Amino acid sequence: MAKKNVRIPSGEVIPEIPETLDPSLFKVIGKNTERMESISRPSLTFWQDAWRRFRKNRPAFLGFCIIGLYVILAIFAPIMSKYAFDAMDVSLKYATPSLEHFLGCDGSGRDIWVRMWMGARVSLTIGFFAAFINMCVGSVIGGLCGYYGGWLDMIIMRIVDVVYGIPSLIITILVMVVVGRGIHTLIIAMCVVGWIGSCRFVRGEVYRLKNQDYVSAAKVLGVPDFTIILRHIIPNVMGMLITNLCMAIPGAIFQEAFLSYIGLGIAPPNCSWGILAKEGIKYLKVYPNQVMFTAFFICTTMLSLTMIGDGLRDAFDPRLRGTE
Amino acid sequence: MSKYIVKRVIAAVLTLLVLITVVFFLVRLMPGEPFTSEKLNPIVKENMIKYYGFDKPLIVQYFQYLGNLLKGNMGYSMKYTNKTVNYIIGSTFPYSADLGLRALAIALVFGLLLGVVAALNRGTRLDVFCVILAIIGTSIPDFIMGAVLQYVFGLKLKVLPVAKWAGFKYTILPSCALAFYTMASVSRTMRASMLEVVQQDYIKTARAKGLSNFRITWKHQIRNAIMPVITIMGPTVAAVLTGTFVIEAMYAIPGMGKYYVDSTNDNDYSMILGMTVFYGAFLIFCNLVVDILYGVVDPRVRIGK
Amino acid sequence: MKKASKMLALLLALAMAASMAACGSSDGASAETTAAAEAAETEAAAEEGAETEAPAEEAEEPAAEEADAGEAAGEKVFKFATGTEPTSMDQSKGNSIADNEVQRALQEGLVRLINGEVQPGLAETWEVSEDGLVYTFHIRDGLLWSDGEPLTVDDIVYGFKRLVDPETASPYGWIAGSDASHILNADAVLAGEMSVDELGVAKVDDSTMTITVDTPVPYLLSLLGSCTEYSPVRADYVEQYGTDFAATAEKNVYSGPFVLTSSENQELHYAKNPNYWNADAVNFDEVVQYIVSDDSTRVAMFDSGDVDYVAIPNEQVPLYEGQDQSYQNGNDDYLYINSASETQPLLQDANFRLALNYGLSRTEYISLATNDIYDPGCTFVLPMLSGVNGGTYGEEYGDKLSAFPVDGDVAKAQEYLKAAGVEDPSSVTVELVITDAESEKLIGEVIQQQWQTNLGINVEIRQVTYSEKYGTVLPSGDYELAYGGWGPDYDDPNTYLALFNGNSPYNYSNYKNEEFDALMAAATTEQDVVARMDMLAQAENILLEDGAMVPLQYRTVHYLMNENVTGINFTVGAVNFDWPFGDIAQ
Repeated sequence: MAKKNVRIPSGEVIPEIPETLDPSLFKVIGKNTERMESISRPSLTFWQDAWRRFRKNRPAFLGFCIIGLYVILAIFAPIMSKYAFDAMDVSLKYATPSLEHFLGCDGSGRDIWVRMWMGARVSLTIGFFAAFINMCVGSVIGGLCGYYGGWLDMIIMRIVDVVYGIPSLIITILVMVVVGRGIHTLIIAMCVVGWIGSCRFVRGEVYRLKNQDYVSAAKVLGVPDFTIILRHIIPNVMGMLITNLCMAIPGAIFQEAFLSYIGLGIAPPNCSWGILAKEGIKYLKVYPNQVMFTAFFICTTMLSLTMIGDGLRDAFDPRLRGTE
Repeated sequence: MSKYIVKRVIAAVLTLLVLITVVFFLVRLMPGEPFTSEKLNPIVKENMIKYYGFDKPLIVQYFQYLGNLLKGNMGYSMKYTNKTVNYIIGSTFPYSADLGLRALAIALVFGLLLGVVAALNRGTRLDVFCVILAIIGTSIPDFIMGAVLQYVFGLKLKVLPVAKWAGFKYTILPSCALAFYTMASVSRTMRASMLEVVQQDYIKTARAKGLSNFRITWKHQIRNAIMPVITIMGPTVAAVLTGTFVIEAMYAIPGMGKYYVDSTNDNDYSMILGMTVFYGAFLIFCNLVVDILYGVVDPRVRIGK
Repeated sequence: MKKASKMLALLLALAMAASMAACGSSDGASAETTAAAEAAETEAAAEEGAETEAPAEEAEEPAAEEADAGEAAGEKVFKFATGTEPTSMDQSKGNSIADNEVQRALQEGLVRLINGEVQPGLAETWEVSEDGLVYTFHIRDGLLWSDGEPLTVDDIVYGFKRLVDPETASPYGWIAGSDASHILNADAVLAGEMSVDELGVAKVDDSTMTITVDTPVPYLLSLLGSCTEYSPVRADYVEQYGTDFAATAEKNVYSGPFVLTSSENQELHYAKNPNYWNADAVNFDEVVQYIVSDDSTRVAMFDSGDVDYVAIPNEQVPLYEGQDQSYQNGNDDYLYINSASETQPLLQDANFRLALNYGLSRTEYISLATNDIYDPGCTFVLPMLSGVNGGTYGEEYGDKLSAFPVDGDVAKAQEYLKAAGVEDPSSVTVELVITDAESEKLIGEVIQQQWQTNLGINVEIRQVTYSEKYGTVLPSGDYELAYGGWGPDYDDPNTYLALFNGNSPYNYSNYKNEEFDALMAAATTEQDVVARMDMLAQAENILLEDGAMVPLQYRTVHYLMNENVTGINFTVGAVNFDWPFGDIAQ
């Protein structure tokens, strides 16, 4: 790590200096004010720099491309295909992959390729929204708790304990009663509990950071709390938070899969990756294709998200700014 | 410190009371009823409602429940009609806890190891290997992981038993299947946090002082980097030890997970409440331990101020 | 107490592991830290191993040892796995087929239904009065409970009375009443309007008892022989243990072929009951029932040789072609139609209901939704119920019923749709309620597809939980269509047809047809069995012509059985898997 920051001076051989220098060798060229002020490297804003570093991080960029590809496929694949995701055909039961059906068909003769991308729509939507909302809500509340501490912290943490203790299934069922079954139900149900994770996490981080010297220094200098949070705390938490977000998306996709597994997922005939995986796992011994394909897409999505997370963490890290 | 703990314990009891109250009334809002079958005669249903005291006003039932709970009695399950909730939790928790502890041990040992190794060798092939392993762990839903392990090691290779819980051999597959996700998230969190710590000035100072690498790693890096891991451990411990529906069902382990899910589906009110009380108390305890550990591990966090 | 201390130990072990790891890192010595952390890990593992494995081994090992020792000594051990956990070990409180199957091994009724035939049980002989209202049972001499106490007529009578006593709150109390057995005064006792002593079950002397019914019940004996809720109960045990009666194996005594030795940890251990009156007919010395909720795991346990019998989940049936056997479990699945629906008034029109029926190709449905395992249902009453001339109901009356075409009839369906006044099918939307079970989801999707393709109407699927479906949705009539099923309580079409009686509490379809009600009432009092059956068949025909429901399928269960096992029956009704008199070759 440290090595990269150290600039090793070039090993050029410096010509031997004569004992006395002849002044005629030199001439006064005067001040070049223009050159003095010029900046050899282009000036970059925080975001430009982050983007530049992110792009340079090859795995992260690859992950970004894969997710982009999946999003595009999720949008267009079902529209382009001539098969509907819920159309059944007795003659196509367990059809193996072919040019007609890229990934074959399931036990009811439904095209897995189309179902995969219909499922991706649902899973990715739930994953991104649930994780993002959770992160926003959680970090605001967690940040307040961690920074101010005291009674506010005590009360909110007790609320957190209570909410966390309520079985999530009950919450999911009750949310379903109120808003009906659908993607939004799952997102809401996940958010009711989900923010707690990032809240606890951010609280811990902020707790740690606010005792750092630079924060103390800022405080002594009379910097307002708001500015301290904005300038000192947030940039330092950002890295961990982004990593956390990228972990939270798979978490939300899994949560959806679990709810589908126990039958509390989205309303049929819609499908998600969780539902596909569950349908597929039943056929593991008979027809392993379905679960293999589903697992492949889930895994590569997670892989990409993780790589993006790592890339973003480095990109946002203020201490790595301007390096490389 | 002791004053802090007393304060926290009081807060924990109050939290638990609020939790019980909230869940007690929430479950009654759930659609459906506890006494259901294809052929439930209205008269019979009436009798059952009386038998469980559901004909009394809700508030009376609430205080009765609290009174019984103080005596340590969580009532009879409404589905498994002659078993008490205490009995069911008492006979299933040891299995879930056993499975959970094994999984946690695996997850912590390998997770921390992978995280530290990856962070110390950042950018090398070893790092990539560790990261990929961790990613695979977080990428596969547990029901796929469990089923595949069972299929490969139990049915194809026939080296390990496919199900049940009757000795060390039986514990390997489910513990591993359960550990994988936690291990992966521990290692990821550890790696990220280690990288953070590695850049701190005090590490440079320590290096400048000429401390051995081993000493720097142990005394300065790991100790400081472990904080976020501890934070995520609280809820994880509670969740893993109180039963995991999927893995327990898949490996036919007589743990709590099944009752946790089924009681909600069956509207088995006393069972849901019992599970909530137990899980809630456990969770609050774990979080308390985590907060205390904060003070122990990180000298800069002074508890009680 | 012991359990509590174990839990405490666990918590301590956990806390210790965590705190030791933490203490270790704060004292700074790196080598020590490693050691401390590792020690904490191993100690935690050791502690947890020592503490929590103990109960597992306690429960497991004696049984395992016994089994091993037993097999060595030529004892016959039968092991099997089922999916559903029994809800109660109390014979009076059984509520499901899983409960009945357990009790059938543990308790003996007055008579026992074996493979559809009524065989003597606790009663050696019996006679029925000429008007068919009084049954007199002559009880065997020298009957014993498993603890050696004599089994008396009082115990048997107490069993009946306890079942209907409102204080017991047995979920199956209704079986004694007018929905099934018609035992005199049972309904009034259940409702708390009469004392339990007025129930029409009475002791005559020490070896004779009578059961009085309020109307002739042709199927009463077969009901007594299969319904385990009518088992004898020991009053002293009930008094001693109160609500804890039968909570564990020691808290009950047994009158049947087997005694329960343990019911812990999702395993039921049975041992042969030497005091059973017909102990010679019992071959297994020991039986182990594993409760394994996961379908695939159960089959995997058979594959790995852990069990001798499992049912195969539908999707894996093709894998075991040639090895598997099958039976019909009598479950008859159909769609409830709310024929008084206000949200979709079209359902009140018989033409529309028939359009739904003709618009469904049952052949295709069976292939897509059940992997070709189940049999298509084109009529309502289960055809394999007994008829009156020695054949099955299906054989004797099948061709007199207006069954729906198995492949559907789209043209006819369209006609019915027109007749119902539907000009633009795409403007019609019906809602189908299913539970969140995986199999039902697929069934819902297939039906949705078929109706959308064949009729052009829209189907919306509403998923609810099981308790919501039977607790609120069906009873309150807040639905349009709902998937459901009915297993026969006794071997008679009445068990199905009574569901559509205008005043039946289970008439979730809100179906009302005076002609049908009149036929059913006439059949109840009809003494001649053939005439009665004719009436019932006529009544079924009315339902079919009215499209009162959408019959879907009769369930077939495929199973794997160790080829050394013989003598196990599969029956329809209260018990499917009837193993107590099976045998296993060494």
